[in-house]
Amino acid sequence: MEFLALLVASGLVSGAAYGMIAMGFAVIYKATGVVNFAQGELVMLTAYIAFTIASSLNLPFLALMAVTIPVAMLIGLGLERVFIRPMLGEPPFAIVMVTIGLAVILRGVTIMIWGPDPFDFPIGLPRDAIRIGPLPFYPAQLAAMAALAVLVAAAWAFLRFSRYGIAMRAVAANEKAAMLMGIAVNRIHSLAWVLSSAIAAVAGVLFAANFKLGPDMWFQGLKSFPAVILGGLDSIVGAAIGGLVIGVIENLAQGYLGQGLREIAGFAVIVIVLMVRPYGLFGEREIERV
Amino acid sequence: MRTGSFKRSYAELTALTDSALVWTAIGMLGVILLLMPLTAGNYALTIATAAMVAIVGAVGLNLLTGTTGLISVGQSGFLAIGAYANGILLADYHWPIWFSLPTAGLIAALLSLLVGIPSLRLKGLYLAITTLAFAFIVSHVILYAEKLTHGPNGIFLPKVFVFGFDLAKDSHLFYFVLAITVLTVLAALNLARTRIGRAWIAIRDHDIAARAMGIDLVRYKLLAFMISSFFVGIAGALLSLQIRFVNVDVFSLILSIEALAMIILGGLGSIAGAILGAIFLTLLPEAIRIAFATFGDPNSTTYTTYVYEIRGIAYGVVIVAFLRFKPDGLIGLWRDTRKYWSNWPLAH
Repeated sequence: MEFLALLVASGLVSGAAYGMIAMGFAVIYKATGVVNFAQGELVMLTAYIAFTIASSLNLPFLALMAVTIPVAMLIGLGLERVFIRPMLGEPPFAIVMVTIGLAVILRGVTIMIWGPDPFDFPIGLPRDAIRIGPLPFYPAQLAAMAALAVLVAAAWAFLRFSRYGIAMRAVAANEKAAMLMGIAVNRIHSLAWVLSSAIAAVAGVLFAANFKLGPDMWFQGLKSFPAVILGGLDSIVGAAIGGLVIGVIENLAQGYLGQGLREIAGFAVIVIVLMVRPYGLFGEREIERV
Repeated sequence: MRTGSFKRSYAELTALTDSALVWTAIGMLGVILLLMPLTAGNYALTIATAAMVAIVGAVGLNLLTGTTGLISVGQSGFLAIGAYANGILLADYHWPIWFSLPTAGLIAALLSLLVGIPSLRLKGLYLAITTLAFAFIVSHVILYAEKLTHGPNGIFLPKVFVFGFDLAKDSHLFYFVLAITVLTVLAALNLARTRIGRAWIAIRDHDIAARAMGIDLVRYKLLAFMISSFFVGIAGALLSLQIRFVNVDVFSLILSIEALAMIILGGLGSIAGAILGAIFLTLLPEAIRIAFATFGDPNSTTYTTYVYEIRGIAYGVVIVAFLRFKPDGLIGLWRDTRKYWSNWPLAH
């Protein structure tokens, strides 16, 4: 029983990281209809930037996030302007390919700037374990779960109440109609990239704090795909839940079924999920008209 | 001078090309390729062989992604299957290459059904992610199924003889790969103009409309997956013959990106484009290496430390630049040039 609880708890921690990265995917997909294959690289790049900021300024956690997030937003804005905006109007296939190209570029540049060796990333949180019931947690682990909860609440409130959030939903529902109603669709696309980069920054810092900051961090982007698929590509809250579910499933597979299954359990789950429900568990079913 | 394309018989309509110039060019290219091992050094031969292996793979992927419009980011998985199947059959079961090579392709084709069957319900991005999942699952299974695949130890290929010629020698391998490449390209060219090829194009352009025209989507999509994976499996097997040591690290995700870059760069849906793209991208790392050797500090460690990153950035830049400025790729560039000169001086 203790073993199960431990597996679930550590699954929730890595699931929180997946959930945050998956939310980044979902924000961009919802607004622009494109899967951003560079999301993992964005997570890695912002984490490295936060690392540089942290090691030169020595800030407490919340201040570090307050500095990192605007920087990440600027990067997102710039990337959208340079790489994605000129592709406006092209088929989604072409834009997705551009994000794949962008991914390898960002990955190479990041590794060339910060070098191939992993770093230990102190994010300004205490390091003593806190006991919740029988289970010990590190503050960074609790921070990851808290951050996921905050992001989900913020995303929900943003999409529900904010003018821009409602505009984003309108664009997602029907881009042409939204344009006709006077919504600047290209600005909404920029906004999606900006928000997604901000989420990537939170995810990157907390992932690096809980695991490590290394040049293979981009891989977490790919590993978060199962979470996005499970939640449905266009459901931001679904992506967060999907992340937690995938995190727990991976850990249970590792604990009960065998070594090495952790890496592929998530992918095996989505192949099955997609066979049963091709639009994910919470995704909207598209009806196509010829 | 030809001012347009006129067909007067069915034979002309179904001919691969109606231009004597094209046949002459192909003939000359053939002679050059056949004479190459006599004049070129081993290094040039190795690169040429790698380029031809890439052509087989790119032509295979092009059938799936370019012609049928099903995005696959899982090419590294199929290459790995082909290479491992060939390696295991040669090293552990002592099959002759004549059986192990096609069997490697067949195994890749059969396993492609694992992605192909879910793909029937998936479109576009969901499919791309499933193929990615497939590539991961393949590399993990290879790593953990030690009894069959030797796991992390990899497989050393034994000496392989074709008609008594040892394929370990660069020139022999070159001729062998050349023969397979020519067969692959011919097969792909012929597929493209049969019912199957036309059905694939119809599915790419609009699958619901294609179904309404009487094309069995299930059959043709699965066929696209199987035939494409067969070629990619063969490419993997050829790759194993060239590198002679099959290890799971060879088949990293960057290979999938590289394959996609090849067909985008060449021009999606065009076989000639896939060939051009494969050659260009095989030469690109060499060009980068030479550029660093010429302009950079020869003692700098930047290149040796970051060789994969530099290569990755180059692939990324190529993908982004071509999609942005020339979406129909090198082959489109060639078509534009040809059109310009055949219409010159009246451009319109």
